[in-house]
Amino acid sequence: MLLKGTLPQAITSPPVVLFIYAVLILMIGSALASVLLRNTMYAAGAFAGSMVLVALLYLTIAPFLLFAVQLLLFTTVSALLLIGLLRGTTGLKASTLGPLSREWIIGAAVAAALMALLVVVVATTSWPVRLIGNPGPGLGETLTNTYVVGLAVLVVILASAALGSGLLLAAPTLRGGSTTSGRDPGRRDPRARGSSR
Amino acid sequence: MSAGLNVMLVGSAALFAVGAFALVARRSAIVMLLGTQFMFMAGGIAFVAFARFGLGAVHATAGAAVALFAGAIAVAELAVGLAMAALIYREQRNFSVDADRG
Repeated sequence: MLLKGTLPQAITSPPVVLFIYAVLILMIGSALASVLLRNTMYAAGAFAGSMVLVALLYLTIAPFLLFAVQLLLFTTVSALLLIGLLRGTTGLKASTLGPLSREWIIGAAVAAALMALLVVVVATTSWPVRLIGNPGPGLGETLTNTYVVGLAVLVVILASAALGSGLLLAAPTLRGGSTTSGRDPGRRDPRARGSSR
Repeated sequence: MSAGLNVMLVGSAALFAVGAFALVARRSAIVMLLGTQFMFMAGGIAFVAFARFGLGAVHATAGAAVALFAGAIAVAELAVGLAMAALIYREQRNFSVDADRG
């Protein structure tokens, strides 16, 4: 807890520092695994792991409420959404792109350039540090008092997303719904096939 | 040995780069969505780190509040994106975003 009139200090306790470094390394490794793995099921598992690791990182530097929400709500909902999608589809086929394809090389170059840019900015900037004059209220109080409009907008956005995803899943095709729900969407209209000859 | 603002920001930058790689290099709609999730998470970590170690805000919990909002928006985006991925799969029998060109 920050005391009144103190500067925000870096964490120096050796166990906590080691824990933070381990969590950061594991988080990056897990994220890389979820991006690089060809099996979608394994990629989803690695993604859930990285979400849990972000929650553990929040546990060390953020209020407990954020840790709880990240772990219990965001991680669970994301994992359930992915599992639902993979159960509704096969989704388990390996990618046909090899690790030396043009897309992978371009993607690696873009990611490396972005990371280099961010690291240079982070390393060369002298971030201002100010006195903590007031520790302030807790996260729950901040959300319900200072950011109450944002919280209300967030509820509307989440409800809209739930409604929109439900409507999308109810639509038989991407192009409007000209097909009936019982029909195989992979089959094409034989008249259209004949007219294209 | 200490863990301060720079360590958190480097970790956040690395996570953001991983997400950018997924968006650029992969053609699977699911993996691209996971990449956007990583980019959202990287932003949240940076906000929390600034609130905890650095610039701060009027309230020390403001960064955490923004991280909470970013996470919720990311989950909403994932829900809509996965529904679209399911529709793509119904038509194309795979998750490739290139298959729907034209």
